Amino acid sequence: MRDPGLVAAPSADAATVRVTFEYVAWATVWLLVGTTIGLIASIKLHWPEFLPYAWLSFGRVRPAHTSLVLLGWASHALVGLSLYVVSRTSRVPLWSPRLARIALWLWNLALLGGLVTLLAGVNRGPQEYREWVWPLAVILAAAVLIDGYVAYRTVAARTLPEVYVSNWYILGGFCYLPILYVTSYLPFYQAGLGNTVVAGYYMHNAMGMWFTQLALGVSYYAIPRLLGRPVYSYALGVLGFWTNLLFYPLIGAHHFIFSPVPWWLQSTAILFSVGMMVPVWAGTGNLLLTFKGGGGAVRRSYALPFLVTGLIGYGLSSTQGTIEAFRTANIYLHFTNFTVGHSHATMYGFITFIAWGAVYGLVPRLTGREPSPLAVGVHFWLALVGVLTYVIAISIAGILQGLAWVAGQSFIVSVIAAEPMWLWRTIGGLLMVGGHVVFAANVWAMRPQRATVPTPSPNAVGIPA
Amino acid sequence: MSFGGLHTDHRAIVAVAAIVFLVLTLVMAVLPALREQARPALAAVTPRGGEAELGRQVYMREGCGFCHTQFVRDLPMDRPFGRPSRASDYALEDPPMLGTERTGPDLADVGTRQPSDAWHLIHLYDPRAVVPQSVMPAYRWYFVEKAQAEPGDVVAPVPADHAPRGKVIVAGPDAKALVRYLLSLKQAKGSP
Repeated sequence: MRDPGLVAAPSADAATVRVTFEYVAWATVWLLVGTTIGLIASIKLHWPEFLPYAWLSFGRVRPAHTSLVLLGWASHALVGLSLYVVSRTSRVPLWSPRLARIALWLWNLALLGGLVTLLAGVNRGPQEYREWVWPLAVILAAAVLIDGYVAYRTVAARTLPEVYVSNWYILGGFCYLPILYVTSYLPFYQAGLGNTVVAGYYMHNAMGMWFTQLALGVSYYAIPRLLGRPVYSYALGVLGFWTNLLFYPLIGAHHFIFSPVPWWLQSTAILFSVGMMVPVWAGTGNLLLTFKGGGGAVRRSYALPFLVTGLIGYGLSSTQGTIEAFRTANIYLHFTNFTVGHSHATMYGFITFIAWGAVYGLVPRLTGREPSPLAVGVHFWLALVGVLTYVIAISIAGILQGLAWVAGQSFIVSVIAAEPMWLWRTIGGLLMVGGHVVFAANVWAMRPQRATVPTPSPNAVGIPA
Repeated sequence: MSFGGLHTDHRAIVAVAAIVFLVLTLVMAVLPALREQARPALAAVTPRGGEAELGRQVYMREGCGFCHTQFVRDLPMDRPFGRPSRASDYALEDPPMLGTERTGPDLADVGTRQPSDAWHLIHLYDPRAVVPQSVMPAYRWYFVEKAQAEPGDVVAPVPADHAPRGKVIVAGPDAKALVRYLLSLKQAKGSP
């Protein structure tokens, strides 16, 4: 099947373009705020007296960082791009850009509320990615539902018979996140250890049933579009969709191995963590094979290197996750900083790089303005060297912590062992945040011109739009 | 190529995906959670009340659980922290704070391991006054610096080189409550 994006399509309508760009722009704002806060958290681990204020103490900035980069940056960027993708692959304007904009503002309201409440110490306890008090969660859920409805109605109005594979992933993500989010907040089964069972389910599925879905959905459009050739195998894309749905929800309990959470739940989680290799490598392989023979295009494009990096990040970091789930590996690595390295390898090395590649590949086509390729290159290298420094340093820290614990040394030995690596983590983080500032300047350079109908420009690869 | 008709039917794709995910949510999260929440606490465990409960709120406010677990595994390296945790240990905890990261030591049984409230007060005011290499935040905003203690004041006996010259460090209500909570963290004895 041909990639619908390759068929000559009328240029995107101005309203779809504007709302897509607004999502990307707000994503960039939350990226800057969220990662600056992350950097503060990082510095505090080797310089505990840095900014010794209640509102900026480690236990408060830590959830502020995670919620802003997950629910702010990555979600906004991927939702904006997804709305554009459903519109283009369905060959119709977005069903209601107005509703999508209302969702964006609801979403921003929840994020701002989340930032202020978490820094003020108003939270639901250390429950990862559901620290926000429930009224904020309701606002966020409403925003997700509205965006999902807009995407659904757009696909429903498509002018082609087929639902392109991108839209399977995107509509899937919009289905799963509300179910997940509501399940994680409803209290009826969360007394005592019931809460922990739900924690494992939620914190894990939030990744694979939301971010992975949208990132793959966007990739299945952006990569063929930028390369000017159809995706390697449509069937592999669909296989990845179904196997991800069947395996991923079974593996959340691997965050609580050796805990009083039922043993069968832990064992199922480990088993299907291995099963996850099917959708992971189906997706990675399929999209990487789409590049076969396209090396020249990658070298000439400033967007494709981000996408290639993101795909490699997807395959490698997911495989790392599978290995961490094994009980033997868990003995050495659980509770250590190794897990922090893994979450940055996935959310940054995979999700964030895919989002950047798609922004650089698609936004110039819809606004008619391109950033300077040199600035994009600077962003790429700062982010890549930064995240590699970060992940390598923090993984070494994790291994050192694990070895100290297994050796039965007193606890402080593990802190002393990890501390030099925490300094390196900050150095990596500084490079990353520097990259984000350059990215923000590039987004500004790509802004749509006011009151003019955008004309698609030839993109870096030179395929006519 | 056809994928069982789903290929051209957006309603069917969404319906099948949502139903499968809902079923898996029930089987992997809701039903096991219902079973776990039905586990009773040990008879020896009583609900935390008063000051210790306020202290638990402070513990949550400061996100202590992001660095300290309350979850002892049945592994040799976890022995120093207490006996392996059981489901019944968490029956009265809302939310239970097992945690996923140990930047600092486990606290499931810290009330037994470190029963001195003076130690905890100094440690909260300035962790490096008792553990020089600690990277824990200092929670000074829960203390008041006074020229001299007044009757009824709880003084944190902070070593002179870690306190402002000529001042005594008096614990505020939240610091006292947090210490009460930490001392309440004791693993219950008895069979599960």
